[in-house]
Amino acid sequence: MSEILLQVEGLEAGYGDVQVLWGISLKVARGTMTTLLGANGAGKTTSLRAITGAMCPRGGKVVFAGEDVTWLPAHAKAARGLVLVPEGRQLFNNMSVEENLEMGAYSRRARQHFRQQLDHVYTMFPRLKERRNQKSGTFSGGEQQMLAIARGLMAMPEILIIDELSLGLAPVVVQQLAETLKGLKASGVTVLLVEQNLHLALALSDYAYVIAEGRPFLEGPSAEVAAKPEIRQAYLGL
Amino acid sequence: MIGILASVIDGILIGAVYGLAAMGLTLIWGVMNVINLAHGAIVVVGMFVLYMLVSALGLPAYGAVPVMIVLGFVIGIGLYWIGVHRMIGRPELMSLLSTFALNMVLIGLGTAWWTTSPYNVQVNMPSVSWRGYTFTGTHITAAALAVVIAGLLYLLLYHTRIGKAVRAVATNREAAELCGIPTTQVLAMAFGLGVALAGVSGTLIATMFPFTVLSGEAYQLKSFVVTVLGGLGNPAGALMGGIALGLIEGLATPFMPVSWIPIVEFGLFVFCLIAFPRGIFSFTKA
Repeated sequence: MSEILLQVEGLEAGYGDVQVLWGISLKVARGTMTTLLGANGAGKTTSLRAITGAMCPRGGKVVFAGEDVTWLPAHAKAARGLVLVPEGRQLFNNMSVEENLEMGAYSRRARQHFRQQLDHVYTMFPRLKERRNQKSGTFSGGEQQMLAIARGLMAMPEILIIDELSLGLAPVVVQQLAETLKGLKASGVTVLLVEQNLHLALALSDYAYVIAEGRPFLEGPSAEVAAKPEIRQAYLGL
Repeated sequence: MIGILASVIDGILIGAVYGLAAMGLTLIWGVMNVINLAHGAIVVVGMFVLYMLVSALGLPAYGAVPVMIVLGFVIGIGLYWIGVHRMIGRPELMSLLSTFALNMVLIGLGTAWWTTSPYNVQVNMPSVSWRGYTFTGTHITAAALAVVIAGLLYLLLYHTRIGKAVRAVATNREAAELCGIPTTQVLAMAFGLGVALAGVSGTLIATMFPFTVLSGEAYQLKSFVVTVLGGLGNPAGALMGGIALGLIEGLATPFMPVSWIPIVEFGLFVFCLIAFPRGIFSFTKA
């Protein structure tokens, strides 16, 4: 197996009195696409938020590119290339497309490649270039998701973590985004994907982790996981 | 008739300075959802900075303006870490209480230092005469500087990376953090900016009127009225709201005793809250 870019060990996190994660562990190898699966409320989004620093973990370890980043604030993780495209897009709605992208490249490291990365992103999403001076709040769901991914790419990610790629989007738009992800992977970007559409996630990814009730449930190469009957149990709680 | 026009024009000039003060309040409110009850005390800090620099050190009056902007920024960052940082994201009552405490401390220090007797800084600027009416030079200069500073704020917020980061944090702090923006530093900076604006408006007010350590309250209340007129968290609206308030004051002054002016202002305040809860000049927020 190639170099491990992101390694999570025994991650615990929660909100107030409610503990959500009870020791999540996963590994993402450089250049691969990994998916994190589980039923609603299993702790997928919480895992991603704790990994990227959007919320503070309570225990466990996050090692990124050989460095222990568990307790770093989110902006410091983003600056290192550990980048989250959050659930629900979370764009800066009263700012233009280009301003959103500029904010994506805020860190010193990303800033140096701003022009070149902007061209790259505009080539990937010509639609965004057409509308670069428009406010993102006026966009359709699919366009917003494109912008959210583009904004994540502006940060020069070593690993791009995407939460709920297809949530609320039309099937044809989901197909387009799936093609985009394939393209990203082909260009060498490492991806960790959370996706409610099980079949899509398993078709796109190389390796899959399934979690249930905040604990690891099952893992394996995506093709094998897809064939296992237990996956149903994780989703239906049977 | 010309008399009323002259009064209105003078009101507009003063109103631009009210707008500048309100910009400081509304910027902080819009970015971090904190109602800065130390706003009035900071306006007073600006007044006494003028007094100290001109009367004690003999600096030219308008030299105090850039000094106050820098000093206000530094004071604001200090106050942010002392009294605001731990209140971010907590219920609004917490930041109300802590900024009110800062207000009391600042006013207490000021009273101990300067007592509550009135101060006056003599600023000599040539007046402009027009058809027998005189427009005070200090009013014209203060309004011009207020508009220039407002313009600089606009350039900062819309055409610099750090200013865009302030807007990004105001819109969605978590998303900004995930973009690699150090949002805590941005909040401290935005608070510093807000305090600098409030302070420099105090400096400009002190070039026009006498003041005491307790003058801040009146300007704090005016800033609330302006903010309600202009819409929350909207610096451009704040300037418009300030000018509108000054215009109303100028319009009312010839017709009623000065002690009735606050009644008109706050009557308007209540009316706007009911009739235009999003502000009259609120065009930025959808």
